[in-house]
Amino acid sequence: MVSLAVSSATAPGSASAAWLESVLSAFDQPQFLSSGGVSSGDLALARIRASARDHLRGMGMPRSHHEAWRFTSLAPLIAVPPRVLPPVRHEGGSEPESSPATEALRLYWDGDRDPLAGVVLPEGLSRIEPAAQEAFLGTALAEAGTEDSWLARFSAALVGQVLALRVRGRVSVPLELVSDCGDRSGVRPLRLLLVLEENASLELLQVHRAAGPSLSTAVVETRLGAGARLRHGVLGLGSDTSCLFAHLAVSQAPGSELELTTAVGGWGLVRLEPALTQSQGAAVTRLRGLQVARDHQIADLHSLVRFQGPEGQLDQLQKAVVDDAARSVFHGAVQVPREAQRTKASQLSRNLLLSDRARVDAIPQLEIVADDVRCTHGATVTRLQQEELFYLRSRGLGADQAARLLLEGFCDEILDALPEPASFWQPARSLLGQALPQ
Amino acid sequence: MIRPDSPILLEITDLHATVGDQPILKGVNLTLRAGEIHAVMGRNGSGKSTLSKILAGHPAYTVTAGTIHYRGEDLLALAPEERARAGVFLGFQYPVEIPGVSNLEFLRVATNARRGARGEEELDTFAFEDLVRERLKVVQMDPAFLERSVNEGFSGGEKKRNEILQMALLEPLVAILDETDSGLDIDALRIVSAGVNQLATPDNCILLITHYQRLLDEITPDFVHVMAAGRILRTGGKDLALELERRGYDWVDEGLEPAPQADPAAPALEVV
Amino acid sequence: MIERYLGTVVPSNDNFFAALNSAVFSDGSFVFIPKGVSCPMELSTYFRINSGDTGQFERTLIIAEEGASVSYLEGCTAPMFDTNQLHAAVVELVALDDADIKYSTVQNWYAGDEKGIGGIYNFVTKRGQCRGPRSHISWTQVETGSAITWKYPSCVLQGEGSSGEFYSVALTNNLQQADTGTKMIHVGPGTRSTIISKGISAGHSSNSYRGLVQIGPKAVGARNYSQCDSMLIGDTAAANTFPYLRSQQPEASIEHEASTCRISEDQLFYLQSRGIGLEESVSMMVSGFCRDVFNQLPMEFAAEADKLLALKLEGSVG
Repeated sequence: MVSLAVSSATAPGSASAAWLESVLSAFDQPQFLSSGGVSSGDLALARIRASARDHLRGMGMPRSHHEAWRFTSLAPLIAVPPRVLPPVRHEGGSEPESSPATEALRLYWDGDRDPLAGVVLPEGLSRIEPAAQEAFLGTALAEAGTEDSWLARFSAALVGQVLALRVRGRVSVPLELVSDCGDRSGVRPLRLLLVLEENASLELLQVHRAAGPSLSTAVVETRLGAGARLRHGVLGLGSDTSCLFAHLAVSQAPGSELELTTAVGGWGLVRLEPALTQSQGAAVTRLRGLQVARDHQIADLHSLVRFQGPEGQLDQLQKAVVDDAARSVFHGAVQVPREAQRTKASQLSRNLLLSDRARVDAIPQLEIVADDVRCTHGATVTRLQQEELFYLRSRGLGADQAARLLLEGFCDEILDALPEPASFWQPARSLLGQALPQ
Repeated sequence: MIRPDSPILLEITDLHATVGDQPILKGVNLTLRAGEIHAVMGRNGSGKSTLSKILAGHPAYTVTAGTIHYRGEDLLALAPEERARAGVFLGFQYPVEIPGVSNLEFLRVATNARRGARGEEELDTFAFEDLVRERLKVVQMDPAFLERSVNEGFSGGEKKRNEILQMALLEPLVAILDETDSGLDIDALRIVSAGVNQLATPDNCILLITHYQRLLDEITPDFVHVMAAGRILRTGGKDLALELERRGYDWVDEGLEPAPQADPAAPALEVV
Repeated sequence: MIERYLGTVVPSNDNFFAALNSAVFSDGSFVFIPKGVSCPMELSTYFRINSGDTGQFERTLIIAEEGASVSYLEGCTAPMFDTNQLHAAVVELVALDDADIKYSTVQNWYAGDEKGIGGIYNFVTKRGQCRGPRSHISWTQVETGSAITWKYPSCVLQGEGSSGEFYSVALTNNLQQADTGTKMIHVGPGTRSTIISKGISAGHSSNSYRGLVQIGPKAVGARNYSQCDSMLIGDTAAANTFPYLRSQQPEASIEHEASTCRISEDQLFYLQSRGIGLEESVSMMVSGFCRDVFNQLPMEFAAEADKLLALKLEGSVG
């Protein structure tokens, strides 16, 4: 309808179609987790896989005329070898030597082996057996209306195993879920189902690392019962050749509280899709995001928050630091339909553009029908504040040092909101690396 | 000034009211005559602010029983703007900010609506500016506030001065001032009080709603009523306020008994 | 002269409706302000669609040479028909060095009835080029009519230090749809743009702000400020905000703010308690909401716009 600026083209059609076909056939024979026969949960998953494959073949690869992918090039993606990522031996061996800063239950997650094998789960946390998964699988996606997200379909088409956890009451130990692709090449599909029962509470850090030409693609479905509280962090530390996709669908019952913080950087291509629904309103959602991109990296976050009842609250702050020839995309949709009276939503996108070859696209999108609401959004794209730099330098700091200090300050507002186990990964240093050139 | 022969302006009889399902007023009786200054005191939640909102016709409150007569007419039958035009004025505890709407324009439209109801000619922009500049003196307000949006970015004291300025322009016969002293420093309190004293005439009456004695040090009431649990429990002269200050609100509670059945024939409250 | 400029700002293949216009347009208006001349009066035009079964495809071309300035106003009305009519105009503005063009629109095409029958489809392409250094183009629009409006008056800021402004009030009621906004394309260094958009939706209407702010790699020191506010009247109208922000220049800043509000009961009660009637209170608050935009209109237009809004909202508050 409206022709706005034409964006970068995605990868050439035929090459990307061939890549997609190769990936699909590489994952034709999933190894289901449960041994000893096929359970109904496996059947549910098999149905989801089959349906996703059908859809995906119909959809093909995203093109630049798809609004959701207009600004995001898939070139880094199709450079990933279209095969199953081989198991990484001694996974976690590449981690920093130091032990976790706090007590946390760390699970290693590779989409193949059972992360729970041989693990004693803390009180309140239990596995959802395959037979019981069927009632939940796909429901958070359906509520958010994002089943047709290309990313979610793509991921669903490949997944052969679901990590499914139920939370009752308060789990006192933070849970840490680590997927480390190391320098291996190939595709690793992951799927997590998390069900927090009424008044349950959990702290979860999801860590993705990669150093080679790999694609980690995850679908996380979370259901928060009434009064439940989830503090969920996603920390993604990548490399120029690695890609990360994550679709995070959350359904929140009234009285629940979600604090979702994402911090990603260093990926050739990263795309996060938080899709949150307050199923009957009256819940609290706090979204924090930071993406750091340099060189030719592309960082993309598409969020959707939907209020389906009155008195919901949203506080969203999304930040980006973009240097060199990198791209950052933020698309943030907030939907306030008629039944969502007295919603309070605020969204702010703050972008630091550090180079004249870098590019930032910020697209807030508010759709409001209810009239008794308070919704605000804002966006800024700037460089580091020169007055602030000057102030620091006038107190004796070098230019680089001053810039670094301001950058860290900019990022800390998000990083501080990550669950405690994140400190182990030293996110500021991992994301910002050595001082960025000013 | 008490003159037993002066006309009754406002008569509240056995007023019951709710907000949502919550009963707040449980049988309020009050009579205001021309020339009188009344003070209603009470704790937070005693119902005094509800009373003021109901007099102005706030839609959130429902009158479930009782009557209010203004100069013999049924006040409850009137829309909020009709009450204002007829001469009932509420000075808000928290004056509302209205971005974009010029204060001067707002004052002019309101003044002309009141003038129209009194059969007076509307004032044009120039005539109104003369009037408003003269009335500004009542509250010693800076004319710069006329150029701003209604109450937007005003300090607490400036908002209250703006309220009294409106009173000066609308020349009400019944002025209800809801916690006009709240949020005022001592200088602002003196200015606002002096304004109210100037505006009190033998033809109008004033109902002060307040929590503290300090406003009554500046504006001397003819009657003091003490509210608790949705009723007026005690009525007296200005000394009642001083006694209340000395003995505290707990003293009033001693007089608190189960609410009597609504009975329009019930005798007037005993004067202490 | 016309040949030299016509179609250089909006090429005939720009979009479907611009192409349609370019193919069939027969008349329009042409304004040329020579070097150094300040047009001493407001140029006022008036557009009307008179027949029930028609399309209207006029073109407007305004050229302001070095140091020239002009203020151009257009008003649009159309009688009521049960059928829909198409209005697909093209407006091109060219501002050379230090030139200043101010273009104001009060659009009150027939909007259809409360059931959505009849009304104009208003698909207009409006674009200005600030070609010269320090040139300035300002769009002000009050959009109250048409069944459907798609309109994005835009500025291409090429000249160093040139500036563009967009001030808009769009009011929709009943089943109207308005999708309007602007594009500010910052090409040259030191370019500045300001966007103030006020959308008011009542009835079952839908009112969208859609805009693009793009800062190109050469636009060192460019600045944009956007403010997009929506006001909802009743709970069946929709207000959408779709701002696209793109920056490729670190020495630039983009700031966007948006809010959605309604007229609160407390505000209405406050005005009513001072003797101001319900409809008048609403219209006071709506015009207060739009004040930043009305201030940009020539005086008599501003008063007219105020009345137009009040008229359009009649009966929509209860």
